[in-house]
Amino acid sequence: MRRRFVALGVAVLLCAVAVLPGCTTDGEPGVDAGDAEPIRIGAVLSVTGPYAGLGVPERNAIELEVARINDAGGINGRPLEVLYEDDATDEAAAQAAAVKLIDRDGVVAIIGATGTGQSMAMRGDVERAGVAQVSMAGGNVITGEFSEWVFQTPWPNRVVVPFILSYLQEQGMTRVALISDSGGYGKDGVQITKEEAAGFGVEIVAEETYQRDDKDMTAQLTIIRGAAPDAIMLWGAGSEAPTVLKNAKDLGIEAPIIGAPGNARLELIEGAGDAAEGFTFAAGHILLPESYGVGTEAYEVATDFVDRYTEAYGVGPDIFAGHAYDALHIVVEALKRLPAEGFDAADVRDEIEATNGFIGVGGTFTYSADDHNGLSESDLTLYRVVDGVWVLAEEAE
Amino acid sequence: MGTAELLQFAIAGLKNGSIYALVALGFTIVYASTGVINFAQGEFVMLGGMLSWWSYSMFDVPLVVAGLMGVALTAVVGIVFELVAIRPRKDGNPLALIIITVGGSLLLSSLARHAFGPLEKSLPAFTPGPSFRVLGAAIDRQTLWIFALTAIAVVLLSLLYTRTRVGKAMRACSIDRSAARLVGVDPRSMVTLSFALAAALGALAGLATTPLTQTAFNIGPSFGIKGFAAAILGGLGNPFAAVIGGLTLGLLESMSIAFISSTFKDAISLLVLLLVLFVRPQGMFGRAVREKV
Repeated sequence: MRRRFVALGVAVLLCAVAVLPGCTTDGEPGVDAGDAEPIRIGAVLSVTGPYAGLGVPERNAIELEVARINDAGGINGRPLEVLYEDDATDEAAAQAAAVKLIDRDGVVAIIGATGTGQSMAMRGDVERAGVAQVSMAGGNVITGEFSEWVFQTPWPNRVVVPFILSYLQEQGMTRVALISDSGGYGKDGVQITKEEAAGFGVEIVAEETYQRDDKDMTAQLTIIRGAAPDAIMLWGAGSEAPTVLKNAKDLGIEAPIIGAPGNARLELIEGAGDAAEGFTFAAGHILLPESYGVGTEAYEVATDFVDRYTEAYGVGPDIFAGHAYDALHIVVEALKRLPAEGFDAADVRDEIEATNGFIGVGGTFTYSADDHNGLSESDLTLYRVVDGVWVLAEEAE
Repeated sequence: MGTAELLQFAIAGLKNGSIYALVALGFTIVYASTGVINFAQGEFVMLGGMLSWWSYSMFDVPLVVAGLMGVALTAVVGIVFELVAIRPRKDGNPLALIIITVGGSLLLSSLARHAFGPLEKSLPAFTPGPSFRVLGAAIDRQTLWIFALTAIAVVLLSLLYTRTRVGKAMRACSIDRSAARLVGVDPRSMVTLSFALAAALGALAGLATTPLTQTAFNIGPSFGIKGFAAAILGGLGNPFAAVIGGLTLGLLESMSIAFISSTFKDAISLLVLLLVLFVRPQGMFGRAVREKV
């Protein structure tokens, strides 16, 4: 009998361990600097789960910047306190986190979430309570389906697609094949590409998809090879992208492959090895701040962040850390423009919308009553993988 | 569609199919000894890649040594898992055991995330070099390795089952546990052994695919689902059926892409799986009646 309880205990323990990571949270008091009442904002991040590779650098960037802001005296004499919630890359958990931050903690603004689905899951509650949300996810829908309470820091596909298409047009590559992740990001990119292609004189000659965690895309690429495209556009952000590059190389496909900002990851180069050579992708200037032009203010902001982040964490920031930096500072700048006391969440939202020419690391942000993304094609640049590192595509040519 | 393309689709299908087959073998072995589906099988695939990567990057050993270490360590994890989580459940209640394996699966992937971090890990190809051309179709070297490893695993497993005392003892236990005990076979150690074997086979699949697709803490369930489907399709009986099930599933997927649509490939292969099970609930090669009730 006793043994039975032992077995039961083990089973319960296993289930408990499995379930728990989704609900662990910790509100860390950011500082003890100053006696003034802290300004509290929330951050909903995917620190565990499939998007942990994005959420962890985001959290690193926010922690780094909050410490710096508080060391410099906080905001209008009040310390800044960020309450972190982990959504474990789960929509329901993100929604629950938003409720907790709004109703229990009374935050004046929320940064998050890491992923598009999680960001959208929070929308109902930020609208209900009237609290501004600044998302770090790239989905077009976040600001494409407009909400007066929701802002976004990465480049959405409606900015990325025309940027890539105009490059293809310049290069005279008119026959283009698409291969995409069947999930939201890929679907979004493909749909916008199909809508916009004709305007750039580009014809879509093949359209293939793969599922998340697929091990081999040779079959899809064989069909693409048969269509003889001038270039292949890859829409996907996950770990499947290196497999696409490898399979294409094995099949002897010579058409260049061009990807989206989600591919701006060192793991892609590491995973694809030789096959990554020549891979071209669009992303912000943060990967090589000199692309802003040495000496410009944007260059100074980006290199300053890159240097401090690298010193603190031993690796350079990726684009996701940059999105978090931008989200935090957009909120902080709005708070600085408000009086020290006596404002509410709606005032914070109004000030965020008044963001004008804020130079972040992902670009220069100007929000307006009908644009809550605020970036333009000039905030993107093309990179190419050469000898295992990314360089500016124009220099490689 | 020309012969070269058709051959290319076949190669792609067989490559995925071999991977599914290796995972399916693990399901088959544990099922034979315990009568349950081990939902942690996919995690053994993940651990195989992860622990090989860990050995490779930590100890600066040649890839072949790191690979062997990865497979051996995963087998140890399989043994520990059986001793700690399966064996204490003495009555062998299948439902309880299945739930234990589900919990174990989540536990293993959480532990891997904490130990190795959230990012993808890669290993170099076993034998780097350009891909081969066969009748206009490309076949990369790692794919040949996957074919070879699957073939070797099946042959060794058949030999184990038919030619060795241990293998015969394992089969005896799956046929009749009490009778096996009467002739001096310890069924409990056979169960432990089956977990070790299943873990090692899963690890082999993880090791062989990591150079192609990288590995990460969260890849287990997707391998598990495909391997499970392959095992069911073939029939949960013998290693041969698992392999045929895996290859069939892989070919179904690539032919769906070739002739219908890449968007629906998983739906199409699941549909075929369902149809097969309607006609033959025991799978393509499963026995109609289980000897063990």
